[in-house]
Amino acid sequence: MREQLLDILNDLRPDVEFEKEKKLIDDGVLDSFDIVSLVSELNSEFDVEINVMDLEPENFNTVEAMLELIVKMQEEG
Amino acid sequence: MDFISATFVVFVTLLSAVYFITPQKAKWCILLLGSYIFYMASSVKLLFFLIFTTAVTFICGLILGNINEKQKVYLKEHKSELTREEKKSLKSRTSKKKRWIVAAAVFINLGLLIFLKYFNFIGGNLNSLFASMGIGGHIPHLNLLLPLGISFYTLQSIAYIVDLYRGKYQADRNFFKFSLFMSFFPQIVQGPIARYDHLAHQLYEPHKFDYQRVTQGVQLILWGFMKKLLLADRLAVAVNYVFDNPDPHEGFVLFFAAAGYGLQVYADFSGGMDVARGVAQILGIDLALNFERPYFALSIEEFWRRWHITLGGWMRDYVFYPLSLSKGFANLGKWTRKIFGNYIGKKLPTFLSMFIVFLLVGVWHGSSWKYVAYGIWNGTIIVSSILLEPFYEKFLKKCRINTECFSWRFFQMMRTFVLCSFGRFFSRGISCMTALNMMKRTVVNPNPWVFFDGSFLNLGLDYKDFYVIFIFILVLLTVGVMQEKGIRVREKIAEQNLYFRWLLYIGAVAVVLIFGHYGSGYSASEFVYQQF
Repeated sequence: MREQLLDILNDLRPDVEFEKEKKLIDDGVLDSFDIVSLVSELNSEFDVEINVMDLEPENFNTVEAMLELIVKMQEEG
Repeated sequence: MDFISATFVVFVTLLSAVYFITPQKAKWCILLLGSYIFYMASSVKLLFFLIFTTAVTFICGLILGNINEKQKVYLKEHKSELTREEKKSLKSRTSKKKRWIVAAAVFINLGLLIFLKYFNFIGGNLNSLFASMGIGGHIPHLNLLLPLGISFYTLQSIAYIVDLYRGKYQADRNFFKFSLFMSFFPQIVQGPIARYDHLAHQLYEPHKFDYQRVTQGVQLILWGFMKKLLLADRLAVAVNYVFDNPDPHEGFVLFFAAAGYGLQVYADFSGGMDVARGVAQILGIDLALNFERPYFALSIEEFWRRWHITLGGWMRDYVFYPLSLSKGFANLGKWTRKIFGNYIGKKLPTFLSMFIVFLLVGVWHGSSWKYVAYGIWNGTIIVSSILLEPFYEKFLKKCRINTECFSWRFFQMMRTFVLCSFGRFFSRGISCMTALNMMKRTVVNPNPWVFFDGSFLNLGLDYKDFYVIFIFILVLLTVGVMQEKGIRVREKIAEQNLYFRWLLYIGAVAVVLIFGHYGSGYSASEFVYQQF
C-alpha cells in the first residue's frame, strides 16, 4: 500500500521528497489543487470514500498520516 | 469607534486595565461587555442583527451538537451489536437530519447578508432586465444599512455550523460566551475571520498580564498605525484623485493609481489587522494571521494564499473542497474526460470550483458588476496559468532560462505585481467599463514622459508626500525581506537594551504624529474593509 501511495504522490508532485516531508500541508508543500487531485486518486485507487470532512491537515501532513487515513477508511467500509 | 483614534486608544487601555484586575473567572465577561460597548459605539440600531445572527447560530449549533452527542452515545452503547452496514446507515440518517439544520442556519444568516448587501443590486439588475423585455413591474430601491462587520461574522457563523455538522468539535452551550466569540471587538470590524476551535477557548480562558506580550502588542499596533497613516491614507489622496476623474490622465499615471490602490488597500487592511492582532495580543489572545507579505508572491495564486488568508481559508474549506469533491463535480469530471481527454477532464472540476470561489470573493467585496469582473480577472489568470504550465516549462527549457536564481524570482514577483495591479482597475474603478477603458489607455499609451513632466505632482500630493511614501515602502520591504528570511523582528527588538527600545517606541510615535496623513480635525479616514 505504501508503494502504491508513493507512486500516486510522486506522479502528482515529482518535485517533492515525500518520505522526508513532515508538514506537507502546514508548510504549504501541497496546495488545495494537489489535495483535490490526491483525494480523487486515493478514492479510486484504494476504493475508499475520503470526503471533505477528512480534509484536515493532520491527515495529509505525512505519508504515514495518509496511510493511516486510508486504512481507517477501508476499515470503516 | 475607529481603530485609528484617540478614543480607541483610551478604550483599549481602560479595557485592558479592567481585564487584568478582574477575577479570573469573570475575565471573559469584561471582553463581552467591552465588545458590545465597542459595537454600540459604532451603531446601536444595527446591534439587533448581530444578536439575531448570534442567536440563530447558537440555537442551530445546540441542535447539531445534541444530534452529534446522541449518535455518539448510541454508537458507544451498541458498538458490539451493530454491523458495519447498520452503523453506516445510522450515520447517513443522522447526516440527513443535520443537513436540514445546516441549511436553515445558512439560509437565515447568509440570506440576511445577501438581503442587506445585494438586494438593491439584484433589484436594479432585474428592473433593467424587465424593462428591456418590456415586462412591467418595478422592484423598489430600499434604504438598507449594512451592520458593522456583517460580512465577517456571517462567514464565522457559517464555519461554526458546518464544522459542527462535520463533527469537528462540540457545540457551545453558553450563550453569553458564544456571543463573545461572535463579537470579539478587535476582529468584528474587518476580521480576521476566526474559527471557533482556534479562538473561542482563548477568549474564555483567563489571561494574566504579560509584560512581553503587552510590549509586542503595542509594537504591532504602532506598526499598523504607521501603515495606515503614513502609507494608506497618503496614497489614497492620489488614488482617489485619478480614479474619481480618470479622463485627463494617461499611461503610467493610470498604472500608478491602480498599483497605488493595491498598496493602499494592503497598507490599510494589513495595518488594520496589525492593530486588531496587537490589541488581542495585549489581552493574551492570538488572532489568526491574515497577511503574509503578499507582494513577495511569485504568482497570482500564491498572492491570494498570502492575502486575506482567513477569507481564502474559509473559501477553501467551505466552498472549494465541498464543490470539487462533490459527486456532481466528480460526474462532471468523468463526462469531460471523455470529451476533452484525461488532462483537461481531470482538472476541469477543480478549475470550475476555483472559478466559483473567485467569483464569490469578487462579489463578497461589494454589490457591483465590477467585482464580478474582478473575480473573473483573478480566476482566469490562475486557471490559465495552471493550464499553460506544461507549455511554460517546455518554453523555459528550450530557451535555457535559469529559474533557480534571484533575477528569475524577481521577474516573477514583478509580473505578479503588474497583474495584481491591473486587476485593481476593476476593484477601484467607478464601473466595469471605466476600468476596461483605463486598462486600455495604460497599455496603448503608456507615455513614460509623465515621470519627467511633473504629472505625479498634480495628483494632490507634493514631493514631500512622495518621499514619505518611498521611504516607508523601503522600510516595509526591509522588514518583509527579514521576515521572509525567518527573522522575527519583534523578538529582535525585545533583545535590544532598554534605551534603544524606548527610543524606538518614542520614535515610532513621533513618526506617526509628524508624518501621518490626517484629514480634517486630525482624523484618519475609514478603513477600506470596514465597509464590508
